[in-house]
Amino acid sequence: MTSSAYVAGQGQAGARSARRLERRRLLFWLLPPVAWFTVFMLIPYGMLLYTSLGHVDDMRFIPGFSFDNFIRVFTVDPYLGVIIKSARIGVMTAILSAIVAYPLAFYIAFHVRSARAKFLLYLLVIVPWWASYLVKAYAWKTILGSGGILNATLQGIGLTDGPVRLFLYNEFSVVLTLTYIFTPFAVLSIYAQLERIPTSLIEAARNLGADGWTIFRRIILPISVPGMVAGAIITFSLAFGDFVAPVLVGGPDSVMISNVVINLLGVAFDWPMAAAIGVVIIALGLLLISASGWLEEKTQTRF
Amino acid sequence: MRAFGNPRLVFTMAMSVLAFLYAPILVMMIFSFNDSTYTGLPFNGFTLHWYRELFSDQQMLFSIWNSIYVAIGVVIISATFGVPAAIALDRFEFPGKGVFRRIVMLPIVLPGIITGVALLGFYLTIHFRLSLHTIMLGQGTGLMCVTITEVFARLQQLGRSQTEAAVNLGANEWEVFRHVTLPGIRSALFGAMLIVFSVSFDEIAVTFLLTGRENTLPMTLWSLLRREVTPEVNAVASLVVVMSIILIVCGMYASRRQETSAGES
Repeated sequence: MTSSAYVAGQGQAGARSARRLERRRLLFWLLPPVAWFTVFMLIPYGMLLYTSLGHVDDMRFIPGFSFDNFIRVFTVDPYLGVIIKSARIGVMTAILSAIVAYPLAFYIAFHVRSARAKFLLYLLVIVPWWASYLVKAYAWKTILGSGGILNATLQGIGLTDGPVRLFLYNEFSVVLTLTYIFTPFAVLSIYAQLERIPTSLIEAARNLGADGWTIFRRIILPISVPGMVAGAIITFSLAFGDFVAPVLVGGPDSVMISNVVINLLGVAFDWPMAAAIGVVIIALGLLLISASGWLEEKTQTRF
Repeated sequence: MRAFGNPRLVFTMAMSVLAFLYAPILVMMIFSFNDSTYTGLPFNGFTLHWYRELFSDQQMLFSIWNSIYVAIGVVIISATFGVPAAIALDRFEFPGKGVFRRIVMLPIVLPGIITGVALLGFYLTIHFRLSLHTIMLGQGTGLMCVTITEVFARLQQLGRSQTEAAVNLGANEWEVFRHVTLPGIRSALFGAMLIVFSVSFDEIAVTFLLTGRENTLPMTLWSLLRREVTPEVNAVASLVVVMSIILIVCGMYASRRQETSAGES
């Protein structure tokens, strides 16, 4: 209901002036952010599109109107392959961090009783999130490396003879590092969803004779899906666009799409190609936002 | 009773997750005291050498200050423009609302590099010199959605009756905001500001492309990590963690106290 409805009884003139007032109030709030997003998002994105339609000749940008760069994104190696690989790493990261995060979120939501203990655990989840991203990635390098802690331990207890090189510089270490980095975030989003589940729901199920496993499988898990989806979409996006982990802990073949874009700008000086990849990813991002809105709507439970 | 499932199993699993979250941070902290130029085993002995090194490293200290400066700017930008956007989305129906919402949310799902490339092209075209301020504008655009979503969620919880009452009693828009909206969203806004500050302080993708001559802390660490790695990096990171713990705890307690006092009044 808007305020114009309240004064509708005063006749048409009143309603019209109320509507005008309402519009003025709307513009008061809407104009500043719209101006901001126009200048710092829409215009830059428009220029990105313009750039992507041109090409580079002898280090100079030649404007044009050709879709060659877009065709190259989908046909020439490595672009499409790298986009798919980044998406695969993103999906694995999103799923793994949801799985790793779940028990902790579950514990805080259902097993911790005092509000103080809940608050403390909440803080304990946030702190690793705040630790420097780069150093966290680097810490995994010192853990997984051939002279690292994991190998030293394995050799110390006699499980392996020499250092195992399988742990580092491959897709596994990239996914592990990214999963580690985004797990606190997944914990928070799953916890937010679990905390909303009313205790009466669990009690009712128990009174009807359900055991713990059934309650979890039939009630808690379905209800927690929206929280997991909301968290997973963001973890996926962050992992998809990451360029730090591939450089620090990835191998020669684990470049991701952001690394490719950086190389196109810095090394190859191919702005139009980088812009075309950017436009494709912006389109994918818009699709993802629409899909996530629809998914959350579909899976959300109202109590 | 709310708890179900085997308590010991659930507890063990939860604690293993916490151990997973803290192991690398502990590793980093322990090695910041290691008397060795190389981060790794063996542990040679305790030293404060790397902290001394850090506090005499002008470039490092400068970049910490730069990061704080950028983060404060980003917090101000995202609050100044994010709160009005949240209010507009919450209170009004207008044509193009769906599009507006999608555009506002887009930076959340876009790789920072793409936001950075688009803005870099824009800055180069209008001959805007790269500096800490260009980073601020870029991150501000990217992180505004955090403020918008947090404040919007709170506004939806609050409902519109108080606002409408104030409007009908003749309050102008500024008075409505000052006396009705702001008290209601204060703690959500504060939480969003904390998140924005922390993400900005640690941001690397947008910064990587938009940085000028002055570097932020992540950029300095990045160049250190790519070249010669000294345990000084561990010392900086440990310091950042300790500082952020203090900041989070203070912030959380402040917002909690606010919430309880707001509930009592």
